[in-house]
Amino acid sequence: MEPRDPAASGDFRELDGNDSLIRWMMSLSPAERLQVLQGFVDSIGEFVRDQSTAIQRRP
Amino acid sequence: MTSPPRFKDALEVFARHHVDLIVVGGVAAVIGGAPLATFDLDVVHARNSANLDRLRNALDELDARYRDPAGRLLRPDASGLAGTGHHLLQTRCGPVDVLGAIGRGRTYEDLLSDSAAIDLDGLTIRVLGLAALIQTKEEAGRDKDRAVLELLRQALRGSARLERP
Repeated sequence: MEPRDPAASGDFRELDGNDSLIRWMMSLSPAERLQVLQGFVDSIGEFVRDQSTAIQRRP
Repeated sequence: MTSPPRFKDALEVFARHHVDLIVVGGVAAVIGGAPLATFDLDVVHARNSANLDRLRNALDELDARYRDPAGRLLRPDASGLAGTGHHLLQTRCGPVDVLGAIGRGRTYEDLLSDSAAIDLDGLTIRVLGLAALIQTKEEAGRDKDRAVLELLRQALRGSARLERP
């Protein structure tokens, strides 16, 4: 029995951990991919603002 | 205080001014399907005089100034934008890097055939493909470029698999 070729079968589970994330990204439209990036950037900004506020409130 | 990135808003301003440019860098990688993060928008612009006028108008609307550590208010000018240098700008839509050339001196015209017009829900922009993006990052050879190369290669392999009939 010949070993399965994950690439040929499109089975990303046999590849490394980034591949499931890549597969998910590839399932999105280009506009949706940009929204994912924008959402990440926005969440980082929100986190930084919250941290700054928390530091300022410390006695 | 610097403005947070708003990628699509910045691209809409460039599109409204009909600026000929190619999105490169991290945003191009993400649009190509690579799961990575970036905080700046990198573009390579056409450096003919008509496009430089359009670019300057767009940068004016974006209130672009150089990211100057000394805090001076320095605006990009036409002579600088006409060269192959890199203009690292802060705008009201976040950091925007306006690049005359990337990699081994590749200009807008050099990159055009490796780019594609991509629709972003009604906004059409030209984006460098993953294969060419990898090539320019290999050519640039900086640590920050090398750090993302393997992920870009994985994304390119992933996109090739999904395109396979």
